[in-house]
Amino acid sequence: MADRKIQSKKRYVLAFLIGTFIFINVFFLTYSISYFEYQRISSEQQQLSYDIFKDELYYSLFDKNNCSLSSLSKISEDLRFQGSIIDELEKKLGKNNQGVLFRKKFYSLIELEHFEFIGKMNDKCKFNISTILFFYSNEDKDIKNSESVGRLLDSVYTRNNDLVIYSFDINLDDELIIGLKKEYLIIEPFTIIINKKIKVVDPKNIEEIEKYLS
Amino acid sequence: MELINYVIYASIYIGLVATTFYILSYFSGNKKEKSLYKDNELPKVSVIIPVYNEEKSIEGTLNSILTTNYSKEKFEIIVINDGSTDRTLEIAKKFESKGVKIFSKKNGGKGSALNLGIKSAKGEIIFSMDADTFVTPDSVKDMVRYFKNKKVMSVSPAMMLYKPKNILEKIQSIEYLLGLFLRKTFASLNAIYVTPGAFSAYRKSFFDRYGGYDEKNITEDLELALRIQSHDYIIENVPEAPAYTVAPNRFIHLLKQRRRWYYGLMKNLWEYRKVIGPRYGDLGMFVIPVAIVSIFFAVFVTAYMFFKTIFNIRDELVFLSNINFDFKSVLHTNFYFIERLIFLFVTNPIVIFLSLFIILSFFYLFYASKKTGKISGLIINIPLFFIFFAILFGFWWIVSIVYIMFNRKISWK
Repeated sequence: MADRKIQSKKRYVLAFLIGTFIFINVFFLTYSISYFEYQRISSEQQQLSYDIFKDELYYSLFDKNNCSLSSLSKISEDLRFQGSIIDELEKKLGKNNQGVLFRKKFYSLIELEHFEFIGKMNDKCKFNISTILFFYSNEDKDIKNSESVGRLLDSVYTRNNDLVIYSFDINLDDELIIGLKKEYLIIEPFTIIINKKIKVVDPKNIEEIEKYLS
Repeated sequence: MELINYVIYASIYIGLVATTFYILSYFSGNKKEKSLYKDNELPKVSVIIPVYNEEKSIEGTLNSILTTNYSKEKFEIIVINDGSTDRTLEIAKKFESKGVKIFSKKNGGKGSALNLGIKSAKGEIIFSMDADTFVTPDSVKDMVRYFKNKKVMSVSPAMMLYKPKNILEKIQSIEYLLGLFLRKTFASLNAIYVTPGAFSAYRKSFFDRYGGYDEKNITEDLELALRIQSHDYIIENVPEAPAYTVAPNRFIHLLKQRRRWYYGLMKNLWEYRKVIGPRYGDLGMFVIPVAIVSIFFAVFVTAYMFFKTIFNIRDELVFLSNINFDFKSVLHTNFYFIERLIFLFVTNPIVIFLSLFIILSFFYLFYASKKTGKISGLIINIPLFFIFFAILFGFWWIVSIVYIMFNRKISWK
């Protein structure tokens, strides 16, 4: 008959310790990568805000007759990218992470600054750049619908040139967002404002949006 | 966090601890000296080949076993024709001149054929061999050496697939190769609870003392392994002794095979439930409990992923219809998109854990190739395995559990 005792209790303890060490460290690794990305996005956000403010000031102070918008596409893509990464960081580092919350507020500020600038350029240079303000919600019950409208807007964005989309968390505790909601009478998430005039709530089809684009 | 995430993380954690334990056990077991027969000490061996309508493969199997370098005086081959209705018997009879003994009986199943073979066998060591299995000249000798230890009642080989051709066979070939490391590890813990029916060796005295194969059991090899364990004997494994078997190459045949295996595993584990617990050492305390938990997780996650995929497909179709099926806008990618995708991947712990397990699988495959020689086709077979195996594994288990729950009968064929 074979000896049926457990071969080595130490081996179990060692396996438990090594397994636990690897398990915890993978979470630590992914958290660290998120934190590095947060720092990178913070620094990129500074650069983006600098570019937008510089463009606007340069236009206001020295170059009122210049109607060139060569950096529109780059800034628009940067804004979209940063918005999506900040949303992801919020999921990974937590909704109440003060650093991420600040980045989100700062991001909203940059968006509004750019929104204003595009408005001025449209008025003075007779551009036809369309704008969409998208109010989403990251509350658990709203995430799925917010993501659906977001994907619809992504599709609208790739199908239409001269379009800039600005997204705002409707629940963000920020005076600018509160003011924006009052200005456009926003009371529910999944609402979009097209070219400052048209309000569409919870659009389901690209045609519901594209018919209002210039 | 959703319930499914807790289940996935729990399964990953158990997988990590279990894998670490198995790797530690492998290295610890490797250090132990084994008592092995020398060439002049090797006992008499009987290879029993039960056949039922195996006209396509019986000739190859007999030619393969006849090439063994085992001493001819100590070696006999017994073919039990289990009521074949094709040319199997006619083909087998051609080998009588080479010393192959042939017995015929009414069809009664593999277990009954093997039992008849055991009664007629003269060998101290009995090999059961399927009629679609092929071995190398050294396999028999390498396995028999382990019987020097009188506590060893069974020895299993390195079970591999014979010339995998289509996708299903290629997936199974990787599954078999990955299993080689675990099988050796289980042997080092004396925790093997399945001996491959296609080719395994047993000490005849075990059959004399505890009876032959359970003829009513649909996984008689599994039952025998658990019976050996329940009587506190040892089951060894020899990764250097390859045996190649033909695998089901059609989905329905593979499903039937797995349904039989898993149904049989559940039935036999229930019958031998006494082996679960501290009385049976590492087998009862760790190996079988971890296997049961892993199956539970695999079934839960597969069922969840199946329904989630169905709902996702439905949602995608609705979305595509909402954008008038403008695929160009969906497939639009740029540097930002790729950067975001990479970020999502590297910050997802599940992706990191999966990557770790994939790296580990490469070590298992390296081990398999080191023990059994060069393995071809890995570049194609590995991706196929990682894409499809988990889904198939979960699906086979769900079907088997449904059969158990509704008490549906399963036959051998």
